[in-house]
Amino acid sequence: MDSQPEQQTEVLEENGQVESIASLSERSPGALLRSIFREERFFLILSVFIGVFSGLAVVCFRFAIDWCRIYLLGSGSTLSPNRLVLAPTLAGLVIAVLVIHVFPGVRGSGVNQTKAALYIYNGYIPLRTAIGKFITAALAIGSGHSLGPEDPSLQIGASLASALGRRMRLSRDRMRLIAPVGAAAGLAAAFNAPISAVLFVIEEVIGRWTAGILGSVVLSAVSSVVVMRWFLGSESLFRIPAVHLERPSELIAYSVLGVVGGLASIAFSSGIATLRPRFKALPRWTQYFQPAAAGLLIGLIAVLGAPQVMGAGYEYIDEAMHGQFTWQMLAILAGLKIVATLLSFVSGTPGGMFAPTLFVGAMLGAAVGGAEHVLLPHLSGSPGTYALVGMGVLFAGFLRAPMTSVFMVLEVSGNYSIIVPVIVANTFAYVISRGLQPTAIFDVLTRQDGLDLPSMEEQREEGILRVEDAMRPMGDSVLDAEDTIDRVLHVSEKSSSDVLLVRLSPVGWSSITSQELRRMAAEGKGGFTLGSLLPVRHVPYLHPDHSLDTALRYVDRWPLVPVVSRADFRKLEGVISQHDVLKRYRDFGEG
Amino acid sequence: MTAKAKGTDLRLYLTREPVILALLSALAVALFLVVTGLSHIYHAQQSSLGNRWFSRGVADLRAQRFESAVAEFRTALLYSRDNYSYQLNLAEALIGRKRTSEAYSYLVNLWEREPENGVVNLELARIAAQKGQTEPALRYYHNAIYATWPGDQEVERRDTRLELIEFLLRINAKAQAQSELIALAANLADGPSQQARVGDLFVQAQDYDHALAEYRLSLKSERHNPAALAGAGRAAFELGRYPLAQRYLQAAVAANPSDSESVARLKTTELVLEMDPFRRQLSVARRDRIVMDDFAAAGQRLKSCSALDNARGTASGAGSQQNFADSWSKVKTEITEQGFRRNPDLVEAAMDLVFKIERQASTACGESAGADMALLLIAKLHEGS
Repeated sequence: MDSQPEQQTEVLEENGQVESIASLSERSPGALLRSIFREERFFLILSVFIGVFSGLAVVCFRFAIDWCRIYLLGSGSTLSPNRLVLAPTLAGLVIAVLVIHVFPGVRGSGVNQTKAALYIYNGYIPLRTAIGKFITAALAIGSGHSLGPEDPSLQIGASLASALGRRMRLSRDRMRLIAPVGAAAGLAAAFNAPISAVLFVIEEVIGRWTAGILGSVVLSAVSSVVVMRWFLGSESLFRIPAVHLERPSELIAYSVLGVVGGLASIAFSSGIATLRPRFKALPRWTQYFQPAAAGLLIGLIAVLGAPQVMGAGYEYIDEAMHGQFTWQMLAILAGLKIVATLLSFVSGTPGGMFAPTLFVGAMLGAAVGGAEHVLLPHLSGSPGTYALVGMGVLFAGFLRAPMTSVFMVLEVSGNYSIIVPVIVANTFAYVISRGLQPTAIFDVLTRQDGLDLPSMEEQREEGILRVEDAMRPMGDSVLDAEDTIDRVLHVSEKSSSDVLLVRLSPVGWSSITSQELRRMAAEGKGGFTLGSLLPVRHVPYLHPDHSLDTALRYVDRWPLVPVVSRADFRKLEGVISQHDVLKRYRDFGEG
Repeated sequence: MTAKAKGTDLRLYLTREPVILALLSALAVALFLVVTGLSHIYHAQQSSLGNRWFSRGVADLRAQRFESAVAEFRTALLYSRDNYSYQLNLAEALIGRKRTSEAYSYLVNLWEREPENGVVNLELARIAAQKGQTEPALRYYHNAIYATWPGDQEVERRDTRLELIEFLLRINAKAQAQSELIALAANLADGPSQQARVGDLFVQAQDYDHALAEYRLSLKSERHNPAALAGAGRAAFELGRYPLAQRYLQAAVAANPSDSESVARLKTTELVLEMDPFRRQLSVARRDRIVMDDFAAAGQRLKSCSALDNARGTASGAGSQQNFADSWSKVKTEITEQGFRRNPDLVEAAMDLVFKIERQASTACGESAGADMALLLIAKLHEGS
């Protein structure tokens, strides 16, 4: 670019650089291609491919689950007792062998593995994990283990993305982000809900909103959903009943659901947190039989009258939403599903927690709604409405993803009139769950596995120190640029501070030391105004709501930084120095 | 930059990103084709399983084995969750099992997909009618009437309107029922039994004029239809057209002597005709005789109804409030052939008292029968004249 002509047309590039369109045409073809295929742009294009591949993988995963179900359990809705017991038991044996000897990284749901890839392994998830997860989870869910396909889909997507990223030889930063991009694609396709998938990955895996990653996550989620709908249609996971809220007083009924959901979430997560390490601590040879034993017990539950607890159970969520069970039966199903899912999950059978969470939530919601209808027949909410809200409640209480829980219900129902009950109930569930069990289930599982991944919930709750927490009042030691040196010298002699702030005219701030003032007076410039002698040294200013991290960027270069009101830049709220900032951090660390 | 360097630069990039993207695109297309193949196998299997269970369900539904039908349709829906026909049949099986709330949710879903489907609208209307939800029931019935139907649309629409009319009559919405009946009658195909049926509904809606017209239409095609004759007789009777009612009822009784209702109505009609002193082409002597007989009948009614002992009645010309017994006794002394000749207004006054006694007695002592009922009907016939 040594001989560029004068640039006529300017375009603003993503990174803020100004570049000329005219100059592009003058470049070498290589440079042109380089500019087109800059890594961030290439990453966006790659995100679309990740979405497509993840979508295709999830479609195949769905086929595999259905085929396993048909061939292992049968094609009818009335299943033979022998199959109900034998299919999950024998599948459990096969799964155990595969998990122990062939695919050791496929235990559990997959959310934590994706987080670990982001924070520990620089985005590395072996492709073998995707293959193993695909086979073992399809076998487990298809044979009736009480697990869902969403979290495995998430991990399959992340694993495919990671493999693709490695092939592309992406930079380390990009590699770290590529697993969540694939995770969003996998989850979006499994859920048929791109917004919820994006939110979940941002809320639970990445933990922060940045424009760069958001674009990639959205692109991959949308493209995977398009692929999934191409093959499996656009119908949602369940038929959504008519939803309406007639009287605001009915929110009390939904609050009750929130409380019950919060308590159920505690029971569910405590069960996993308690039983999982105990199962893991059993002798190694028992791991060959743990999934089979879980399968046997689930089969027995099914034979004894509750086949609904097997598999993901979306068809039964649909039935609950349409009032096809009594509230007593719904409550029993919710309890049994928790037991069945505990058994499946703690035995190390690969599979997801999302579908069981939704199942328990829907049953519990419809049960609470049904019981409330018995007590208060005038309530307008249908069982379907309560089931829908209940799904969000468990999502908020058990998975502790409050934002995703609200948007998931909205996206699945396509009905915004349900938003107020969902928010009310979810808030109750989340607060109760967080109050009684401070550590979220994903963080519990991570710590049980000996990893220390950042807890998104703790990050969200972490207090932010602001300038207002460290600033101090300036008192009367603020000088005016229009005052004479003699006058301000008099002020400086009274001040305890060695550095004084000067208010410039019309706006702006500067600073001067007492020593400089004395020197000016000694030089016989006492009659001059301060402004006329002040060296050009504008001091940046801060606002009280700025974070202390922001203040740190300035206080090392400026001994005293003014803190001014956002409404009036001449109004001094206080001052802050490096000492003030460090002292506040020290106090915070000790407190 | 030299041409050689430019060429190297281009080669470098051509061997990286564009080629990678081309390869990825090719891989995506290849995988798409593979998944398309798998998808065909998957959907074919799902469709076959769905059809198999659906066929079993239809057979069970026809045989009214609703429980099995419900399970089979549910299984069919596992393989084709959005299948309209499966859902509709499941809803019908659920209705058969009297699980209307479950059926309702399926039907509402179907309605949202096809609001103009006649079967769905009719089933929803029936459920709403069963729940006593008048407004939605009427809305769905009307939707069903103007909806699209499989098979003979006209017949389906007519039957739906008939069902709507029956519903309106059940909830006593007679005015709406009359409007629907008029619309139905306008589109009724020629058929005496249907015309007679519509006539019956007009009678239930208390629109006797239209009822009589429908029965007459029916009788044009089938002159001796006992039901139409009886209906026409009843419509004419209710309209106060007793000579016409007599003719139809006589024919109805002749055609079906076991029709006790028509026999009783004929008897009442004959009494009305016999006891009405105001009917045309009656000699003065005959009229006076009838008035005397009617007056005597009212006296009998007065005696048998003790509740009227203290009730007040005013005979024209009597001038003051007296009880019915006193009034009757006072007028009784005047009711002679000479009395009628002396006072031309006596017929009116006597019959006025007769009508008052009969009306009061029917209120105080229960429904009248025989001659008393005939007198009440005569009173109604000449009200305001």
